[in-house]
Amino acid sequence: MKKVIISDATLRDGSHAISHKLTKDQISKYAQAADSAGIPIVEVGHGNGLGASSLQVGLSLLDDREMLETARANLASSKLGIHIIPGFATINNDLKFAFDYGVDVVRVASHCTEADITERHISYTREQGREAYGVLMMSHMASREVLLDEGLKMQSYGAEALIIMDSAGAYLPTDVHDRISHLVENLNIPVGFHAHNNLGMGIANSITAVEAGAQIIDGAARGFGAGAGNAQLEVLVAVFGKLGFETGIDLYKMLDAADIVEKEIMESTPCITSVSLVSGLSGVFSGFARHVALAAKEYGVDPRDIFFELGKKRVVGGQEDKIVEVAIELRENTTSRIL
Amino acid sequence: MKSYRTELIRRDCEEISQQAVNLLQGLRNRKVYVTGGTGFVGTWIAELVTCLNDDHAFNCGLVLAARDTESFREKCPHIVSRKDVQLESVDVRTCIEVPDDVSYILHAAASPDNRQHMSNPLVTMETITVGTYNVLDSASKIAGLNKVLVASSGQVYGKQSSAKISEILPGTLNCNSITAVYPEAKRYAETLSCAYWSSCKLPVVIARPFSFIGPYQGLDKPWAINNFIRDALMDNPVRIIGNGQPVRSYMYPSDMALWFLRILAEGSAGQAYNVGSPYGISLHGVAEKVLQYSGAASDVILKNMNDDSSVFVPDDTLCRDSLHLTITVPIDAALKRSLEWYRKSADR
Repeated sequence: MKKVIISDATLRDGSHAISHKLTKDQISKYAQAADSAGIPIVEVGHGNGLGASSLQVGLSLLDDREMLETARANLASSKLGIHIIPGFATINNDLKFAFDYGVDVVRVASHCTEADITERHISYTREQGREAYGVLMMSHMASREVLLDEGLKMQSYGAEALIIMDSAGAYLPTDVHDRISHLVENLNIPVGFHAHNNLGMGIANSITAVEAGAQIIDGAARGFGAGAGNAQLEVLVAVFGKLGFETGIDLYKMLDAADIVEKEIMESTPCITSVSLVSGLSGVFSGFARHVALAAKEYGVDPRDIFFELGKKRVVGGQEDKIVEVAIELRENTTSRIL
Repeated sequence: MKSYRTELIRRDCEEISQQAVNLLQGLRNRKVYVTGGTGFVGTWIAELVTCLNDDHAFNCGLVLAARDTESFREKCPHIVSRKDVQLESVDVRTCIEVPDDVSYILHAAASPDNRQHMSNPLVTMETITVGTYNVLDSASKIAGLNKVLVASSGQVYGKQSSAKISEILPGTLNCNSITAVYPEAKRYAETLSCAYWSSCKLPVVIARPFSFIGPYQGLDKPWAINNFIRDALMDNPVRIIGNGQPVRSYMYPSDMALWFLRILAEGSAGQAYNVGSPYGISLHGVAEKVLQYSGAASDVILKNMNDDSSVFVPDDTLCRDSLHLTITVPIDAALKRSLEWYRKSADR
């Protein structure tokens, strides 16, 4: 039976959905439940990863240390994972203490064409004897050839897996198969996939990824994540079981964990709103949704227009300031048309 | 006062010095110019030559040419302080002038660290291609030059299906890939050497190094055995992504230094020689040995996430038969000595 390693992004990607306001109690309860269900890797932290709490992308309620300490205390057998983007997270200020708090897996992420920036973080993680994954975000913006080139860099730096993220939820299954199969064929390390559900393809794309050779799949309980949410984890576990893929996760306990998320963490159930659908169609990072909504309201423009305009400009995570710029441009254009 | 780490290396050199005396007579009373002189290969060349000078009155002068000589002063003060060794700051990518009194050149400038190849492919290619051109061009102007050795790489063989790779088995390389930057540049350097040999009658030999383990090799390098040792010394589990079946071989650096110098002194111009151990061992096997000899309280974790069972082991027949070179430090001894040296390094 083919094995699939599930990496649980609930307590990290889910942070986006509640403006990074996870509490200690929420982390404790979910981490315990996830550990009990046998989830291999549980990520925790700010939605943009370690060291990202800021006015620009959102301030966390808890600091990174509190989140890691709380999660670690409640994970007996699951590995504790973190997401880091070099630039937000530095080795001296962030990564070093993360190891002191018992982090097992470091997912070092960059924009899909900038793997070069991950070399030192991946190398340092390996030097400390911890597992390092390379992560390429917004992967729909690059061809499979470019993704392979960047993946080969991460492999050479010592990454023990390559995860491609559909950060904008823009993929259709054919896109996923095209990219994952090419990476699997040409890399020596396992390949993983991280879905978002903006076009309603989260589960379908994850299944396609596994069928194309992916061995690591990300998901979040109840789909708790940025934009329209992630691939719904308990559904992944159930469907993979039905398809004959082994996850090693206890379905009933996984369902219990998902109930905790619904009842005690989520403010609203992720769904494909008009805005998140447009986010997927325009290929813009789902995590921009709240910022776009605010800018649309403030400048009196249609948030869907903002997304499509951001898509044309090929804006990526970290360029949140472009949202306001685009909103102002749209308002000015509207005004000049009326005049 | 010599450190214990230095004494360990001197012990290694003394162990093969009698054999080296017999095999390296051509270098006696000669001057050798080494590019990449402060790197792993150059440092071991210096250790062995200075040992021969001290214990066997070899009177072999060394010029260690490198871009970064300052860090070498810290790393090897016992070499820098010697009168028979001269440090020279040189970037082979720019014009290089090898002194007229040099009899042998060993061109070993270019890092084998694949992280650098991937992050700085243009610099990597420039160093190998332009650097080799500059060295060969300068060498061609020295009237009394006996030999130039150009250090290539076992990677020029590309994908192989043979159990042991002999010098006449060119494999396949996908030149249209970022992973080809280093091996393709090395192939070019070999062909360039051949052109100089043909058109200028420059006596050039090629050495194709495979895998090594031992002192002066950084444990931060992204190579399996280095990672195994690093993890074992930290009592961490040794992780293998695949099934542990790929077969590699490892040469201890005192043997490496002797092989390089012997090829430089006595190798036939125009010939390429493999430099590496012919004794293959699986990654799982080497990981188990590392744990055993380190005494680490950890395990080997086989993740079985790929089915790689590739073999990358050189055929040593040419070096053994024509140059009388053998492996004097088997893998078990190589690992034990390496672990001892790395432990002492960590204590510093």
